[in-house]
Amino acid sequence: MVSESFFRSESLPEYALWKSVEEKRIPFSFDLEVTARCNNACRHCYINLGASDPVAKRQELSLVEIQGIVHQAVDLGALWCLVTGGEPLLRQDFSDIYLMLKKQGLLVSVFTNACLVTPEHVKLFQNYPPRDIEVTVYGVSAQTYEKVTRRPGSYAAFRRGLDRLLEGGVRVRLKAMALRSTYQELPEIGRFCRAHTWDYFRFDPLLHLRYDGDQQRNEEIKSERLSPAEIVTLEQNDEERRISLQKECKSLDQIHPDGPGCDHLFHCGAGQSSFTVGYDGTFRLCSSLFAHGCTVDLRQQTLADAWYGLVPKVRDLRSSSEGFRQTCRICPLVDLCLWCPANGHLECGEMDGHSEYFCQVAHARAEAVSMRSSSQP
Amino acid sequence: MIVQSGMVFAPSPDIVARMIEEELIIIPLTSGIGDLEDELFTLNETGKAIWAYLDGKHTLDDVVAHLKEEFDAPDGEIKKDVWGLVEELSKRKIVIEVSRSTSSG
Repeated sequence: MVSESFFRSESLPEYALWKSVEEKRIPFSFDLEVTARCNNACRHCYINLGASDPVAKRQELSLVEIQGIVHQAVDLGALWCLVTGGEPLLRQDFSDIYLMLKKQGLLVSVFTNACLVTPEHVKLFQNYPPRDIEVTVYGVSAQTYEKVTRRPGSYAAFRRGLDRLLEGGVRVRLKAMALRSTYQELPEIGRFCRAHTWDYFRFDPLLHLRYDGDQQRNEEIKSERLSPAEIVTLEQNDEERRISLQKECKSLDQIHPDGPGCDHLFHCGAGQSSFTVGYDGTFRLCSSLFAHGCTVDLRQQTLADAWYGLVPKVRDLRSSSEGFRQTCRICPLVDLCLWCPANGHLECGEMDGHSEYFCQVAHARAEAVSMRSSSQP
Repeated sequence: MIVQSGMVFAPSPDIVARMIEEELIIIPLTSGIGDLEDELFTLNETGKAIWAYLDGKHTLDDVVAHLKEEFDAPDGEIKKDVWGLVEELSKRKIVIEVSRSTSSG
Protein backbone atom coordinates (compact mmCIF):
# COMPACT_ATOMS: atom_id res chain seq x y z
CA MET A 1 0.00 0.00 0.00
CA VAL A 2 1.24 3.47 -0.78
CA SER A 3 -0.15 5.89 1.73
CA GLU A 4 0.84 9.19 0.14
CA SER A 5 -1.24 9.02 -2.98
CA PHE A 6 -4.52 7.27 -2.29
CA PHE A 7 -6.49 10.49 -2.02
CA ARG A 8 -6.34 13.36 -4.45
CA SER A 9 -8.15 16.60 -4.73
CA GLU A 10 -8.25 17.75 -8.31
CA SER A 11 -9.05 21.05 -9.84
CA LEU A 12 -11.88 20.53 -12.29
CA PRO A 13 -10.25 22.07 -15.35
CA GLU A 14 -7.19 19.88 -14.86
CA TYR A 15 -9.14 16.75 -14.13
CA ALA A 16 -7.38 13.80 -15.76
CA LEU A 17 -10.60 11.96 -16.54
CA TRP A 18 -11.53 14.49 -19.25
CA LYS A 19 -9.08 12.97 -21.71
CA SER A 20 -10.21 9.41 -21.12
CA VAL A 21 -13.83 10.49 -21.47
CA GLU A 22 -13.23 12.02 -24.88
CA GLU A 23 -11.33 8.99 -26.12
CA LYS A 24 -14.02 6.57 -24.98
CA ARG A 25 -16.98 8.70 -26.07
CA ILE A 26 -18.61 8.86 -22.67
CA PRO A 27 -21.48 11.38 -22.41
CA PHE A 28 -19.76 13.34 -19.68
CA SER A 29 -21.81 16.52 -19.81
CA PHE A 30 -25.23 17.55 -20.97
CA ASP A 31 -27.41 20.62 -21.32
CA LEU A 32 -30.88 20.28 -19.84
CA GLU A 33 -33.36 22.77 -21.24
CA VAL A 34 -36.11 22.67 -18.65
CA THR A 35 -38.32 25.10 -20.53
CA ALA A 36 -38.41 27.16 -23.71
CA ARG A 37 -40.49 29.81 -21.96
CA CYS A 38 -38.97 33.02 -20.72
CA ASN A 39 -40.06 36.04 -18.70
CA ASN A 40 -38.10 38.19 -21.16
CA ALA A 41 -38.56 38.41 -24.93
CA CYS A 42 -34.99 39.10 -25.99
CA ARG A 43 -34.58 40.24 -29.57
CA HIS A 44 -31.66 37.92 -30.29
CA CYS A 45 -32.84 34.71 -28.58
CA TYR A 46 -32.96 31.51 -30.62
CA ILE A 47 -35.43 29.67 -28.42
CA ASN A 48 -37.55 31.85 -26.11
CA LEU A 49 -41.32 31.54 -26.11
CA GLY A 50 -43.82 33.47 -23.97
CA ALA A 51 -43.77 32.91 -20.22
CA SER A 52 -47.34 31.63 -20.32
CA ASP A 53 -47.18 29.90 -23.68
CA PRO A 54 -49.64 27.05 -23.12
CA VAL A 55 -48.29 24.78 -25.86
CA ALA A 56 -44.68 25.13 -24.72
CA LYS A 57 -45.73 24.50 -21.14
CA ARG A 58 -47.70 21.41 -22.07
CA GLN A 59 -44.75 19.99 -23.96
CA GLU A 60 -42.26 20.42 -21.12
CA LEU A 61 -40.79 17.36 -19.49
CA SER A 62 -42.20 16.75 -16.04
CA LEU A 63 -39.96 16.38 -13.02
CA VAL A 64 -40.46 12.62 -13.14
CA GLU A 65 -39.56 12.50 -16.83
CA ILE A 66 -36.47 14.62 -16.25
CA GLN A 67 -35.48 12.35 -13.38
CA GLY A 68 -35.78 9.31 -15.64
CA ILE A 69 -33.53 10.84 -18.30
CA VAL A 70 -31.03 12.05 -15.71
CA HIS A 71 -30.81 8.56 -14.18
CA GLN A 72 -29.94 7.22 -17.61
CA ALA A 73 -27.36 9.95 -18.16
CA VAL A 74 -25.70 9.25 -14.82
CA ASP A 75 -25.62 5.53 -15.60
CA LEU A 76 -23.82 6.34 -18.86
CA GLY A 77 -21.20 8.38 -16.96
CA ALA A 78 -22.50 11.95 -17.03
CA LEU A 79 -20.86 14.20 -14.45
CA TRP A 80 -21.79 17.69 -15.54
CA CYS A 81 -25.22 19.20 -16.18
CA LEU A 82 -26.06 22.68 -17.37
CA VAL A 83 -29.62 23.69 -16.53
CA THR A 84 -30.83 26.17 -19.08
CA GLY A 85 -33.94 27.32 -20.93
CA GLY A 86 -35.72 29.57 -21.74
CA GLU A 87 -35.56 30.81 -18.19
CA PRO A 88 -35.18 27.83 -15.82
CA LEU A 89 -36.49 29.75 -12.79
CA LEU A 90 -39.89 30.04 -14.50
CA ARG A 91 -40.44 26.41 -13.57
CA GLN A 92 -42.34 26.18 -10.30
CA ASP A 93 -40.43 22.96 -9.58
CA PHE A 94 -37.00 24.41 -10.34
CA SER A 95 -35.74 23.73 -6.80
CA ASP A 96 -36.89 20.10 -7.01
CA ILE A 97 -35.15 19.65 -10.38
CA TYR A 98 -31.97 21.31 -9.10
CA LEU A 99 -31.80 19.25 -5.91
CA MET A 100 -32.52 16.03 -7.80
CA LEU A 101 -29.59 16.76 -10.14
CA LYS A 102 -27.27 17.51 -7.22
CA LYS A 103 -28.29 14.35 -5.38
CA GLN A 104 -27.55 12.31 -8.49
CA GLY A 105 -23.92 13.35 -8.06
CA LEU A 106 -23.86 15.82 -10.92
CA LEU A 107 -21.92 19.07 -11.03
CA VAL A 108 -24.67 21.54 -11.84
CA SER A 109 -24.40 24.86 -13.65
CA VAL A 110 -27.35 27.16 -14.21
CA PHE A 111 -27.97 29.78 -16.88
CA THR A 112 -30.47 32.41 -15.77
CA ASN A 113 -31.31 36.03 -16.45
CA ALA A 114 -31.54 36.48 -12.64
CA CYS A 115 -34.82 38.43 -12.85
CA LEU A 116 -36.78 35.78 -10.97
CA VAL A 117 -34.23 35.00 -8.25
CA THR A 118 -35.91 34.87 -4.84
CA PRO A 119 -34.39 34.65 -1.34
CA GLU A 120 -35.40 30.96 -1.42
CA HIS A 121 -33.29 30.39 -4.54
CA VAL A 122 -30.34 32.07 -2.84
CA LYS A 123 -30.75 29.80 0.18
CA LEU A 124 -30.89 26.78 -2.10
CA PHE A 125 -27.66 27.81 -3.87
CA GLN A 126 -25.98 28.58 -0.56
CA ASN A 127 -26.82 25.18 0.90
CA TYR A 128 -26.24 23.22 -2.29
CA PRO A 129 -23.71 25.22 -4.27
CA PRO A 130 -23.88 25.08 -8.04
CA ARG A 131 -20.72 24.59 -10.04
CA ASP A 132 -21.51 28.04 -11.34
CA ILE A 133 -24.35 30.33 -12.28
CA GLU A 134 -24.09 32.35 -15.46
CA VAL A 135 -26.08 35.51 -15.89
CA THR A 136 -26.20 37.54 -19.08
CA VAL A 137 -26.10 41.30 -18.65
CA TYR A 138 -28.11 42.91 -21.43
CA GLY A 139 -27.35 46.43 -20.28
CA VAL A 140 -26.39 48.52 -17.31
CA SER A 141 -29.17 51.00 -17.90
CA ALA A 142 -32.88 50.29 -17.98
CA GLN A 143 -33.04 51.78 -21.47
CA THR A 144 -30.54 49.38 -23.03
CA TYR A 145 -31.49 46.34 -20.98
CA GLU A 146 -35.18 46.66 -21.76
CA LYS A 147 -34.54 47.46 -25.41
CA VAL A 148 -33.15 43.92 -25.62
CA THR A 149 -35.57 42.15 -23.29
CA ARG A 150 -38.67 44.10 -24.37
CA ARG A 151 -40.06 43.79 -20.85
CA PRO A 152 -40.67 46.99 -18.86
CA GLY A 153 -39.35 46.59 -15.34
CA SER A 154 -36.96 43.77 -16.28
CA TYR A 155 -33.83 45.81 -15.55
CA ALA A 156 -34.93 46.48 -11.96
CA ALA A 157 -35.80 42.79 -11.59
CA PHE A 158 -32.39 41.77 -12.97
CA ARG A 159 -30.51 44.09 -10.59
CA ARG A 160 -32.60 42.88 -7.64
CA GLY A 161 -31.97 39.23 -8.49
CA LEU A 162 -28.27 39.71 -9.15
CA ASP A 163 -27.86 41.65 -5.90
CA ARG A 164 -29.55 38.82 -4.03
CA LEU A 165 -27.14 36.29 -5.49
CA LEU A 166 -24.05 38.40 -4.88
CA GLU A 167 -25.04 39.47 -1.37
CA GLY A 168 -25.77 35.82 -0.61
CA GLY A 169 -22.22 34.89 -1.60
CA VAL A 170 -23.36 32.79 -4.56
CA ARG A 171 -20.69 32.82 -7.19
CA VAL A 172 -21.97 34.23 -10.43
CA ARG A 173 -20.22 34.49 -13.77
CA LEU A 174 -21.38 37.46 -15.80
CA LYS A 175 -21.39 37.60 -19.56
CA ALA A 176 -22.76 39.84 -22.28
CA MET A 177 -24.13 39.63 -25.78
CA ALA A 178 -22.59 41.98 -28.31
CA LEU A 179 -25.71 43.16 -30.11
CA ARG A 180 -26.68 46.18 -32.17
CA SER A 181 -28.87 47.18 -29.21
CA THR A 182 -26.05 46.88 -26.64
CA TYR A 183 -23.12 48.01 -28.80
CA GLN A 184 -22.85 51.57 -27.47
CA GLU A 185 -23.03 50.41 -23.88
CA LEU A 186 -20.69 47.42 -24.20
CA PRO A 187 -17.65 49.07 -22.61
CA GLU A 188 -19.73 49.97 -19.58
CA ILE A 189 -21.33 46.52 -19.52
CA GLY A 190 -17.84 44.99 -19.63
CA ARG A 191 -16.71 47.10 -16.67
CA PHE A 192 -19.80 46.16 -14.70
CA CYS A 193 -19.33 42.46 -15.43
CA ARG A 194 -15.63 42.45 -14.56
CA ALA A 195 -16.39 44.19 -11.27
CA HIS A 196 -18.97 41.60 -10.22
CA THR A 197 -18.12 38.30 -11.93
CA TRP A 198 -16.51 35.67 -9.73
CA ASP A 199 -13.89 34.58 -12.24
CA TYR A 200 -13.92 36.02 -15.74
CA PHE A 201 -16.08 37.90 -18.17
CA ARG A 202 -16.81 36.98 -21.74
CA PHE A 203 -19.00 38.39 -24.45
CA ASP A 204 -20.53 36.70 -27.45
CA PRO A 205 -21.03 38.51 -30.77
CA LEU A 206 -22.29 35.52 -32.77
CA LEU A 207 -26.04 35.09 -32.89
CA HIS A 208 -27.80 31.87 -33.84
CA LEU A 209 -31.02 31.91 -35.78
CA ARG A 210 -34.23 30.50 -34.31
CA TYR A 211 -34.65 26.75 -33.93
CA ASP A 212 -38.29 27.08 -34.95
CA GLY A 213 -37.42 29.01 -38.12
CA ASP A 214 -39.72 31.90 -37.18
CA GLN A 215 -39.03 34.31 -40.03
CA GLN A 216 -39.98 37.50 -38.24
CA ARG A 217 -37.82 36.61 -35.22
CA ASN A 218 -34.96 35.62 -37.53
CA GLU A 219 -35.07 39.04 -39.16
CA GLU A 220 -34.85 40.60 -35.70
CA ILE A 221 -31.85 38.43 -34.86
CA LYS A 222 -30.13 39.39 -38.11
CA SER A 223 -30.78 43.05 -37.37
CA GLU A 224 -29.00 42.61 -34.01
CA ARG A 225 -25.88 41.13 -35.62
CA LEU A 226 -22.84 43.37 -35.64
CA SER A 227 -20.86 43.87 -38.81
CA PRO A 228 -17.64 41.82 -39.22
CA ALA A 229 -15.62 45.02 -38.70
CA GLU A 230 -17.43 45.84 -35.47
CA ILE A 231 -16.93 42.31 -34.16
CA VAL A 232 -13.23 42.41 -34.96
CA THR A 233 -12.82 45.79 -33.27
CA LEU A 234 -14.48 44.50 -30.11
CA GLU A 235 -12.40 41.34 -30.09
CA GLN A 236 -9.11 43.06 -30.75
CA ASN A 237 -9.81 45.50 -27.92
CA ASP A 238 -10.43 42.65 -25.50
CA GLU A 239 -7.12 41.15 -24.45
CA GLU A 240 -8.41 37.71 -23.44
CA ARG A 241 -10.43 37.35 -26.63
CA ARG A 242 -7.54 38.56 -28.76
CA ILE A 243 -5.13 36.01 -27.27
CA SER A 244 -7.68 33.25 -27.68
CA LEU A 245 -8.19 34.13 -31.35
CA GLN A 246 -4.46 34.22 -31.92
CA LYS A 247 -4.23 30.69 -30.58
CA GLU A 248 -6.97 29.59 -32.98
CA CYS A 249 -5.05 31.23 -35.79
CA LYS A 250 -1.93 29.19 -35.18
CA SER A 251 -3.54 26.43 -37.22
CA LEU A 252 -4.69 28.73 -40.01
CA ASP A 253 -2.31 27.32 -42.56
CA GLN A 254 -3.39 23.77 -41.91
CA ILE A 255 -5.86 22.04 -44.17
CA HIS A 256 -8.22 19.87 -42.16
CA PRO A 257 -6.38 16.78 -40.88
CA ASP A 258 -8.72 14.48 -42.78
CA GLY A 259 -7.57 16.09 -45.99
CA PRO A 260 -9.28 18.00 -48.76
CA GLY A 261 -11.17 14.94 -49.98
CA CYS A 262 -13.13 14.49 -46.77
CA ASP A 263 -16.89 14.80 -47.16
CA HIS A 264 -17.88 14.24 -43.54
CA LEU A 265 -20.11 16.98 -42.17
CA PHE A 266 -19.12 16.67 -38.54
CA HIS A 267 -15.66 17.51 -37.32
CA CYS A 268 -16.86 19.36 -34.24
CA GLY A 269 -17.35 18.00 -30.74
CA ALA A 270 -21.12 17.45 -31.06
CA GLY A 271 -22.01 14.09 -29.57
CA GLN A 272 -18.42 13.29 -28.64
CA SER A 273 -18.75 13.75 -24.90
CA SER A 274 -21.83 15.92 -24.55
CA PHE A 275 -25.44 16.23 -25.65
CA THR A 276 -28.56 18.34 -25.11
CA VAL A 277 -31.99 17.43 -23.81
CA GLY A 278 -34.65 19.79 -25.13
CA TYR A 279 -37.55 21.01 -23.02
CA ASP A 280 -39.86 18.58 -24.77
CA GLY A 281 -37.55 15.58 -24.36
CA THR A 282 -35.84 15.89 -27.72
CA PHE A 283 -32.31 14.53 -27.73
CA ARG A 284 -29.84 16.62 -29.72
CA LEU A 285 -26.12 16.25 -30.29
CA CYS A 286 -25.62 19.88 -29.31
CA SER A 287 -27.80 22.81 -28.36
CA SER A 288 -28.06 24.03 -31.97
CA LEU A 289 -28.57 20.85 -33.97
CA PHE A 290 -32.26 20.61 -34.81
CA ALA A 291 -31.92 19.20 -38.33
CA HIS A 292 -34.38 16.52 -39.40
CA GLY A 293 -33.07 13.03 -38.73
CA CYS A 294 -30.52 14.27 -36.17
CA THR A 295 -32.79 14.15 -33.11
CA VAL A 296 -34.81 11.56 -31.23
CA ASP A 297 -37.63 11.79 -28.71
CA LEU A 298 -36.45 10.63 -25.30
CA ARG A 299 -40.07 10.03 -24.35
CA GLN A 300 -40.02 7.23 -26.93
CA GLN A 301 -36.42 6.01 -26.91
CA THR A 302 -33.76 5.51 -24.29
CA LEU A 303 -30.78 7.77 -23.90
CA ALA A 304 -28.50 4.81 -24.60
CA ASP A 305 -30.32 4.26 -27.92
CA ALA A 306 -29.75 7.90 -28.78
CA TRP A 307 -26.12 7.97 -27.69
CA TYR A 308 -24.99 4.68 -29.16
CA GLY A 309 -27.46 4.42 -32.04
CA LEU A 310 -28.31 7.85 -33.39
CA VAL A 311 -25.13 9.80 -32.64
CA PRO A 312 -22.65 7.65 -34.61
CA LYS A 313 -25.02 7.68 -37.60
CA VAL A 314 -25.33 11.47 -37.50
CA ARG A 315 -21.62 11.97 -37.07
CA ASP A 316 -21.06 9.80 -40.12
CA LEU A 317 -23.27 11.96 -42.34
CA ARG A 318 -21.57 13.27 -45.47
CA SER A 319 -22.10 16.12 -47.83
CA SER A 320 -22.88 15.53 -51.49
CA SER A 321 -22.34 19.21 -52.27
CA GLU A 322 -19.28 19.80 -54.41
CA GLY A 323 -19.42 23.48 -53.47
CA PHE A 324 -19.20 22.64 -49.77
CA ARG A 325 -16.35 20.22 -50.26
CA GLN A 326 -14.40 22.83 -52.18
CA THR A 327 -15.08 25.68 -49.72
CA CYS A 328 -16.16 25.34 -46.08
CA ARG A 329 -14.93 21.76 -45.73
CA ILE A 330 -11.37 22.68 -46.56
CA CYS A 331 -11.37 26.25 -45.30
CA PRO A 332 -8.37 26.87 -43.05
CA LEU A 333 -10.37 29.54 -41.22
CA VAL A 334 -12.96 27.07 -39.97
CA ASP A 335 -11.85 27.52 -36.35
CA LEU A 336 -12.58 31.23 -36.61
CA CYS A 337 -15.98 30.67 -38.20
CA LEU A 338 -19.38 30.07 -36.64
CA TRP A 339 -20.16 27.62 -39.40
CA CYS A 340 -20.94 24.10 -38.30
CA PRO A 341 -23.54 21.64 -39.58
CA ALA A 342 -26.03 22.85 -36.94
CA ASN A 343 -25.64 26.52 -37.80
CA GLY A 344 -25.50 25.73 -41.52
CA HIS A 345 -28.93 24.17 -41.10
CA LEU A 346 -30.31 27.09 -39.08
CA GLU A 347 -28.96 29.62 -41.58
CA CYS A 348 -29.73 27.91 -44.87
CA GLY A 349 -31.86 24.84 -44.17
CA GLU A 350 -28.95 22.58 -45.18
CA MET A 351 -26.23 21.34 -42.89
CA ASP A 352 -23.67 21.96 -45.60
CA GLY A 353 -25.12 25.39 -46.36
CA HIS A 354 -22.89 28.42 -46.68
CA SER A 355 -23.41 31.61 -44.66
CA GLU A 356 -21.83 34.64 -46.25
CA TYR A 357 -22.03 36.52 -42.95
CA PHE A 358 -20.11 33.83 -41.03
CA CYS A 359 -17.58 33.72 -43.84
CA GLN A 360 -17.04 37.48 -43.72
CA VAL A 361 -16.59 37.41 -39.94
CA ALA A 362 -14.02 34.58 -40.17
CA HIS A 363 -12.02 36.40 -42.84
CA ALA A 364 -12.14 39.69 -40.94
CA ARG A 365 -10.90 37.93 -37.81
CA ALA A 366 -8.08 36.24 -39.68
CA GLU A 367 -7.05 39.49 -41.29
CA ALA A 368 -7.02 41.32 -37.95
CA VAL A 369 -4.92 38.65 -36.27
CA SER A 370 -2.53 38.43 -39.17
CA MET A 371 -2.13 42.24 -39.33
CA ARG A 372 -1.48 42.35 -35.61
CA SER A 373 1.10 39.53 -35.83
CA SER A 374 2.95 41.16 -38.73
CA SER A 375 3.05 44.53 -36.92
CA GLN A 376 4.60 42.97 -33.82
CA PRO A 377 8.38 42.73 -33.65
CA MET B 1 -10.48 14.15 15.21
CA ILE B 2 -8.29 11.48 16.77
CA VAL B 3 -9.02 8.26 14.95
CA GLN B 4 -9.27 5.12 17.04
CA SER B 5 -9.56 1.43 16.28
CA GLY B 6 -13.13 0.86 17.38
CA MET B 7 -14.55 3.75 15.41
CA VAL B 8 -16.95 3.14 12.57
CA PHE B 9 -17.12 5.53 9.64
CA ALA B 10 -19.56 6.01 6.78
CA PRO B 11 -19.76 8.34 3.79
CA SER B 12 -21.24 11.68 4.79
CA PRO B 13 -24.79 12.32 3.54
CA ASP B 14 -23.36 15.58 2.22
CA ILE B 15 -21.36 13.91 -0.53
CA VAL B 16 -22.13 11.64 -3.46
CA ALA B 17 -19.56 8.99 -4.36
CA ARG B 18 -19.65 7.86 -7.97
CA MET B 19 -17.67 5.40 -9.99
CA ILE B 20 -16.89 6.67 -13.50
CA GLU B 21 -14.47 4.78 -15.70
CA GLU B 22 -13.35 2.75 -12.67
CA GLU B 23 -12.44 5.97 -10.90
CA LEU B 24 -14.11 6.72 -7.59
CA ILE B 25 -15.12 10.37 -7.57
CA ILE B 26 -16.38 12.11 -4.47
CA ILE B 27 -18.65 15.01 -5.27
CA PRO B 28 -19.58 17.51 -2.56
CA LEU B 29 -23.34 17.98 -2.34
CA THR B 30 -23.44 20.78 0.20
CA SER B 31 -21.18 23.68 1.05
CA GLY B 32 -18.31 23.22 3.47
CA ILE B 33 -16.81 20.05 1.99
CA GLY B 34 -13.17 20.43 1.08
CA ASP B 35 -11.16 23.61 0.93
CA LEU B 36 -11.94 24.89 -2.53
CA GLU B 37 -15.11 25.31 -4.54
CA ASP B 38 -13.46 24.11 -7.68
CA GLU B 39 -12.34 20.64 -6.76
CA LEU B 40 -13.29 17.03 -6.93
CA PHE B 41 -11.87 14.24 -4.84
CA THR B 42 -10.69 10.95 -6.24
CA LEU B 43 -9.30 7.83 -4.65
CA ASN B 44 -6.69 5.52 -6.11
CA GLU B 45 -6.83 1.72 -5.93
CA THR B 46 -5.67 1.64 -2.32
CA GLY B 47 -8.03 4.43 -1.36
CA LYS B 48 -10.90 2.62 -3.07
CA ALA B 49 -10.09 -0.58 -1.17
CA ILE B 50 -10.27 1.29 2.14
CA TRP B 51 -13.36 3.28 1.08
CA ALA B 52 -15.28 0.05 0.41
CA TYR B 53 -15.18 -0.74 4.12
CA LEU B 54 -16.12 2.73 5.33
CA ASP B 55 -19.72 1.64 5.13
CA GLY B 56 -21.06 2.33 8.59
CA LYS B 57 -20.61 -1.31 9.58
CA HIS B 58 -16.91 -2.02 9.93
CA THR B 59 -14.73 -0.76 12.74
CA LEU B 60 -11.31 0.46 11.67
CA ASP B 61 -9.91 -2.76 13.18
CA ASP B 62 -12.20 -4.70 10.81
CA VAL B 63 -11.02 -2.56 7.90
CA VAL B 64 -7.40 -3.34 8.64
CA ALA B 65 -8.17 -7.05 9.04
CA HIS B 66 -9.95 -7.20 5.67
CA LEU B 67 -7.18 -5.30 3.91
CA LYS B 68 -4.55 -7.64 5.33
CA GLU B 69 -6.25 -10.38 3.35
CA GLU B 70 -6.17 -8.31 0.16
CA PHE B 71 -2.75 -6.69 0.33
CA ASP B 72 0.67 -8.13 0.88
CA ALA B 73 1.89 -5.45 3.27
CA PRO B 74 2.99 -5.25 6.92
CA ASP B 75 0.20 -4.68 9.48
CA GLY B 76 1.72 -1.42 10.60
CA GLU B 77 1.73 -0.01 7.11
CA ILE B 78 -1.88 -0.96 6.44
CA LYS B 79 -2.99 0.55 9.72
CA LYS B 80 -1.05 3.74 8.97
CA ASP B 81 -2.72 4.00 5.56
CA VAL B 82 -6.23 3.41 6.89
CA TRP B 83 -5.76 5.86 9.73
CA GLY B 84 -4.23 8.41 7.40
CA LEU B 85 -7.01 8.26 4.84
CA VAL B 86 -9.80 8.29 7.42
CA GLU B 87 -8.28 11.29 9.16
CA GLU B 88 -8.03 13.12 5.85
CA LEU B 89 -11.58 12.26 4.79
CA SER B 90 -12.94 13.05 8.21
CA LYS B 91 -11.18 16.40 8.29
CA ARG B 92 -12.84 17.26 4.99
CA LYS B 93 -16.24 15.97 6.22
CA ILE B 94 -16.32 13.35 3.48
CA VAL B 95 -16.81 10.57 6.03
CA ILE B 96 -18.49 10.83 9.41
CA GLU B 97 -18.15 8.69 12.48
CA VAL B 98 -21.37 6.80 12.97
CA SER B 99 -20.65 4.88 16.18
CA ARG B 100 -17.89 3.81 18.45
CA SER B 101 -17.42 0.26 19.71
CA THR B 102 -16.19 -0.49 23.22
CA SER B 103 -12.95 -2.01 22.00
CA SER B 104 -9.87 0.16 22.26
CA GLY B 105 -7.26 0.67 19.65
